[in-house]
Amino acid sequence: MAKKLIDLVNISKSYGENLVLDDLNLYVKENEFITLLGPSGCGKTTLLRIIGGFESPNTGSVIFDGKDITNLAPNKRQLNTVFQNYGLFNHMSIAENIAFPLKIKKKSKSYIEDKVKYALKLVNLDGFETRTVDSLSGGQKQRIAIARGIVSEPKVLLLDEPLGALDLKLRQDMQYELIRLKNELGITFIYVTHDQEEALTMSDKIVVMNQGYIQQIGTPEDIYNEPQNAFVADFIGDSNIFPAVMVHDKLVKILGAEFECVDVGFGVNKPVDAVIRPEDIDLVPVGTGILDGVVTHIIFKGVHYEMEVTANGYKWLVHSTDMFPVGSEVGIYVKPFEIQIMKKPESEDEEAIVIDE
Amino acid sequence: MKKFISKIYLALIIILLYAPILTLVVLSFNSSKTRAKWGGITGKWYVSLFHDDGIMNALYTTLVIALLSAVIATVIGTAAAIGISAYRQRTKSIFMGVTNIPMLNADIVTGISLMLLFIAFKFTLGFKTILLAHITFNIPYVILSVAPKLKQTNKSTYEAALDLGASPIYAFFKVVFPDILPGVISGFFLAITMSLDDFIITHFTKGPGVDTLSTKIYSEVRKGIKPEMYALSTIMFLTVFILLILINTNPKENKKTEHIINSKARKVSKLIMHRLIPATMVVVIIIGGFVYSKTNKTVDSKKQLIVYNWGEYIDPKVLTMFEKETGINVVYEEFETNEIMYPKISSGAISYDVVCPSDYMIQRMIKNNLLSKIDFDKVPNIKHIGSQYMKQSRQFDPTNEYSVPYCWGTVGILYNKKMVKEKVDSWNILWNKKYKDNILMQDSVRDSFAVALKSLGYSLNSADLDELNAAKNKLIKQKPLVQAYVIDQVRDKMIGNEAALGVIYSGEAIYTQKENPNLEYVIPKEGSNVWIDSWVIPKNAKHKENAEKFINFLCRPDIALLNFEYITYSTPNVDAAKLIKDPDIRNSKTAFPDPKDLDRCETFKYLGTKYDRIYNELWREVKSK
Repeated sequence: MAKKLIDLVNISKSYGENLVLDDLNLYVKENEFITLLGPSGCGKTTLLRIIGGFESPNTGSVIFDGKDITNLAPNKRQLNTVFQNYGLFNHMSIAENIAFPLKIKKKSKSYIEDKVKYALKLVNLDGFETRTVDSLSGGQKQRIAIARGIVSEPKVLLLDEPLGALDLKLRQDMQYELIRLKNELGITFIYVTHDQEEALTMSDKIVVMNQGYIQQIGTPEDIYNEPQNAFVADFIGDSNIFPAVMVHDKLVKILGAEFECVDVGFGVNKPVDAVIRPEDIDLVPVGTGILDGVVTHIIFKGVHYEMEVTANGYKWLVHSTDMFPVGSEVGIYVKPFEIQIMKKPESEDEEAIVIDE
Repeated sequence: MKKFISKIYLALIIILLYAPILTLVVLSFNSSKTRAKWGGITGKWYVSLFHDDGIMNALYTTLVIALLSAVIATVIGTAAAIGISAYRQRTKSIFMGVTNIPMLNADIVTGISLMLLFIAFKFTLGFKTILLAHITFNIPYVILSVAPKLKQTNKSTYEAALDLGASPIYAFFKVVFPDILPGVISGFFLAITMSLDDFIITHFTKGPGVDTLSTKIYSEVRKGIKPEMYALSTIMFLTVFILLILINTNPKENKKTEHIINSKARKVSKLIMHRLIPATMVVVIIIGGFVYSKTNKTVDSKKQLIVYNWGEYIDPKVLTMFEKETGINVVYEEFETNEIMYPKISSGAISYDVVCPSDYMIQRMIKNNLLSKIDFDKVPNIKHIGSQYMKQSRQFDPTNEYSVPYCWGTVGILYNKKMVKEKVDSWNILWNKKYKDNILMQDSVRDSFAVALKSLGYSLNSADLDELNAAKNKLIKQKPLVQAYVIDQVRDKMIGNEAALGVIYSGEAIYTQKENPNLEYVIPKEGSNVWIDSWVIPKNAKHKENAEKFINFLCRPDIALLNFEYITYSTPNVDAAKLIKDPDIRNSKTAFPDPKDLDRCETFKYLGTKYDRIYNELWREVKSK
């Protein structure tokens, strides 16, 4: 098991009245791709800036490789950041940009030349040395920023929504590039994004954050399949979240209809939340499902149809490759293991979980 | 058609804007000295311009001040802009507002306040104070041109540099500064332009003998425009024109195309920015320094005299004659009022050698120990000054040791013989109901109270509250009869037969009599005010002997006559008065009243702030009733 490289202990940060991070604890292991995921304003960028040294926490400490670096200046930290808007130096050529950290370290000219070449090759931009920053496209700028970030071989690379400004196709390409880079270089990546798809694609570990709290830490599969609360369920992918009552183990009553499920240990007749992913709902002929409804809306999404089915007073979101025209009556069926049961939030903190985007 | 009209419109605007400048440029090549005549093309004014030491010195001073102040203001302003940009939005806009105010402020206010500040801190007004003033007013322009650049720069570049291991200073100079460089450069050029352009602030903060081109041109123009000035103005226009072109084509504009012509264009612009401009500056300063030190050698500091006089209060010919005869170089400065002159002397900010204040101000200066005694062995020409004037001077200079009278005059009644048939010999005629709405009074506290106090038989320097109240009541009683309380208009209204009687200064009375022969001037039998402006030598004068030579020179009858003809105020030089050609003026009772009339007159005395306030309070009561 890899050792802890970064350990954040009891980090709190507020700007005036506004509490951004509240007593946060998190560790990052060596050679891990960890993603801080959450809506804007959740504190993820602030956390990244605290790790980078651009902000200092009000309380708590940042431990890096066993040493407390909470008050260390950013230029003394062995980690580099790739900024959302690239942070490239417009008045320097591409080679000068990439050579910047090496020049500060007073490396020899030939060493710098080799390193720049190598870094450009890594990001698939060989031969770009003499180009100017202005002549690059957004994706190319992003790659240069990454090349500059890794050329001095930091232990950790912090990435602040680096793909946010790119178009969809480019973003997907870059996601693969980043994974490849991480595997080739063996550098720890801490990645900040609000795009759940990005997080699911690239990460070894995802940290879902909201309103200064960590909501859930886990692998992409854990986060997607077993969200621990309504916020995570709603934020990761599309979800139907229903208020429900746990009749007894393995039986839940959703909107008056009883569904079989696999969850146990919630007690008898306890109010809970039930989460059903839209792709997990099967539409069957009327009367053959657990309850019946009417299709009220339909959109073609390419891979599947996105439909809205009104049943028992609720709108159910359904993804299906089969098409049912608006107005047609359908039956709804869900396999027991596709239903995820969550406890109702009890504490005030948990209740504060609201998507503010 | 529409296009045609819009083209004509544009041409009209350009003609209107540039016609005056074009005229100037054309005239600078006119070989005839008068504007009215075209004498062919010549470059001789440019040649003689470059041979004029005064102008070349002023040019050098201007350039040095422009460059130095721009460099210093650019450093301070850039630092300030960076500091300001780091604040939150609210604080930022407050600071930007505060720094913008000096720019919007009237130059004259900035100029006067700077002068007052320098005097308060006992700075000697001169090159240094001009430089400080220029730095002060240049800083806002630099901030204004750097701030938007800072706003545009990607904030994360600085953080990125830190992140990559750069120290804050290294990050600033390698990353932030190159980004804001275009703003810094245009701020620098703007500062140079503003500095070259400034007249008003320089005028107030400069000391004697130091001139920039603008103040030099101003003082030259007052003496009559010389064609060299056209040449000089043409050169200045072209300089500013070229600077503005440089500002507006700063390197950021061609960034878009840069990657195409890339390194070559970059190298060229880098060459201009980093080598050419600084090199030009250094060359200008060094060459200027040579010229300056060379011309300065000819001015032996012992052969210098710094004169501080009222505006238009000496015949310029007299100064050149003095310089020729004695070999002394005269540095000539002018003031507008006694009150502007006084703080400059009392602060010791400038050491003037010879000054020409009025009576009450001389009294105050003697009292405050600011004057040195004149060695009258060195001023033998004092014998030409009439003894009655020396006697009058004793009112403010009791021992006749500190001052030599230069010009003088009285206050009296000017009346229109066609409208006033009776004999005018008393102030009381101004209370005669017959002349209701035909009387003009001076709109000034001391002059009006002098009339009332004298008519009651009191001193016009009265410090007795009962007397002053009586005078106040008398002025209130007179109010319904008075047509207007005015100053300069007394002259014009009397010439235009718009009033029968008016209180007036004798110097102006002479002028009105030339224009309207029906006017007669009289000093009332109760007595009146006599004012005397005299030459004095301040304690901190550096060239006292030259000052005495100068005073002696002015007392020579032929010189006094030249000045009398130029200034037209009465001269105390009785031997000069005898030389006046025009018998009407020579025998004028207005210009030269009988000595016995003068015996009844008093000079104003400085009464102190307490009585200043009382007089002002009573005068307000009169005016508001």
